[in-house]
Amino acid sequence: MAVERTIRHIKALATGAKYMLGGHRLTLMYPDDIQEFPDGYRGMIEYDWDTCIKCGLCAMVCPADAMKMYVSKEESEEGKRPVRRPGINYTRCIFCGFCVDICPTNSLKFTKVHDVAFYTFEEQIYPPERFREGIPKPQYDKEPRRVRAVLDEKRGIRYEPVE
Amino acid sequence: MSLEERELEVLIGPQHPASGHMRLVAKIDGDIVVELRPNIGYVHRSVEKLAEVKKYLQIIPLVERPSLADTTANNLAYVMAVEKLLGIEPPPRAQYLRTLLAEINRIHSHFYGMGIHGVMIGSSTAYMWCFGDREPLIELAQELTGARLTYSYIVPGGVRRDLPQGFEDKVEKVMRYLENRMPDYFDLYFNNPVTRARLEGVGVLTKEDAIKLGVTGPNLRASGVPYDVRKAEPYAAYPELDFDVITEEAGDAFARVMVRVREIQESIKIIRQVLKKIPDGPILNEKYMKMIPPNLRKQVEETGHIKFPGVFANLRVPAGEAVARVEGGRGEVVFHIVSDGKMSPYRMRMVTPSFRNVILFEHLTKGARVADIPAIYGSLDYFPPEADR
Ligand code: SF4
Ligand code: SF4
Repeated sequence: MAVERTIRHIKALATGAKYMLGGHRLTLMYPDDIQEFPDGYRGMIEYDWDTCIKCGLCAMVCPADAMKMYVSKEESEEGKRPVRRPGINYTRCIFCGFCVDICPTNSLKFTKVHDVAFYTFEEQIYPPERFREGIPKPQYDKEPRRVRAVLDEKRGIRYEPVE
Repeated sequence: MSLEERELEVLIGPQHPASGHMRLVAKIDGDIVVELRPNIGYVHRSVEKLAEVKKYLQIIPLVERPSLADTTANNLAYVMAVEKLLGIEPPPRAQYLRTLLAEINRIHSHFYGMGIHGVMIGSSTAYMWCFGDREPLIELAQELTGARLTYSYIVPGGVRRDLPQGFEDKVEKVMRYLENRMPDYFDLYFNNPVTRARLEGVGVLTKEDAIKLGVTGPNLRASGVPYDVRKAEPYAAYPELDFDVITEEAGDAFARVMVRVREIQESIKIIRQVLKKIPDGPILNEKYMKMIPPNLRKQVEETGHIKFPGVFANLRVPAGEAVARVEGGRGEVVFHIVSDGKMSPYRMRMVTPSFRNVILFEHLTKGARVADIPAIYGSLDYFPPEADR
């Protein structure tokens, strides 16, 4: 038994040493490395002002009350009746993507940006006029390296630079 | 306290003592636990009550939230109950895709549990390894669903997305990776004499007690009870797949870990079968498919991404009651929905495996050493938010 135990101790240490020297690393070195996400990633949402038919389905399906219909000022004044358009509140959005999936005109689209970092609370609320201008561009102190996760049968994940 | 009094009360928690916010009230005599009572409810989120004011589709993300690492089980069980009330069935391909995600999720949920257990008994290497090896699986799930953990992938009548291009190859790579890596896990952690000394013979749950206490999931099977909802009441694509129910006889903390390890190997087997057998065809029930406008239907066929029919925004479910259950990573998940025909359930009951297993804290720790508390806790893969809901 004691021999068996000693062998097992040695095996455990040897395995540890193998990994220490083998450079088996799974960590993504964020924010020096930024991962590019696969297509269909459910990130922040883009809004197409022109194709939207103002049906309100996106606001109706939203489980977090993040998507809401706002009275669109200029249009309402022009048409002399309230025109409502969707706006999004990123303090509430949970990125379920239901709004994107239900929009009958594809006016809402996923982007691959998920950095919901803002200085103020108010900045996170996007009424329609702001929503149409697109998502904020992430800013970095130093331009990061873009990497992609490659699944690998030896290493699990390798992060490879994308050109 | 007088000198004659031997017992001391020790409060463990409630600020995140291990896998979430809960408090363990321990009475100890020297190094021996006289009594340990779990004090739960610190992360109660009122999921059941909230469901009464949310619409049916909106409840999907809600029921996922409490379980964090094991969201697919809740998503699937809830949708199955809704489908029973609606009287619709998902097409075969969707059943396979549900199974695929459920098994990917089971593997990374087991890694999550084993990793936390590892760090609880002092092996931060096991923790790092398990959390690292969750990542390839999460990458897979992310490519399939668009999110890392909160997939909201399963909707009434089917699933939201078809397999992405080249997905089978990626899955196979990850499965091979896990198989390659498993022997090293044994050498470094499971067969490590330190791990064995900490876990073997600790927190023994007998078969009779496991049944009597209503324990569920891997914790039940580690005591030699071959009960698994996937076999007992097969759902999704499980009736067509070949797999075994994993059991261990010892009923101790180590047996509970071993059940999870062997279930990972079993899930690998299931995933391979799913990808081999998956039939072609639609991924959403015909009834809903027809409700999608023709131009969008074409787009759905091209992209493999479902567009929701408008009725999903205000889905009405016929009056009645339905119960559905699935085998999640941590055990049996049960949903009971009572509908009065309106846009929200009249009442929804959600029974989670962690809630059923929490009784083991009291049962298994009596007479154990204080240092065994984390060893037992971790072996249960108990997750406070899931129990509290
Ligand atoms: S964004 Fe789409 S779903 Fe929302 S109001 Fe416009 S058309 Fe309707
Ligand atoms: S992604 Fe989900 S939570 Fe966010 S706005 Fe759309 S529907 Fe609402």
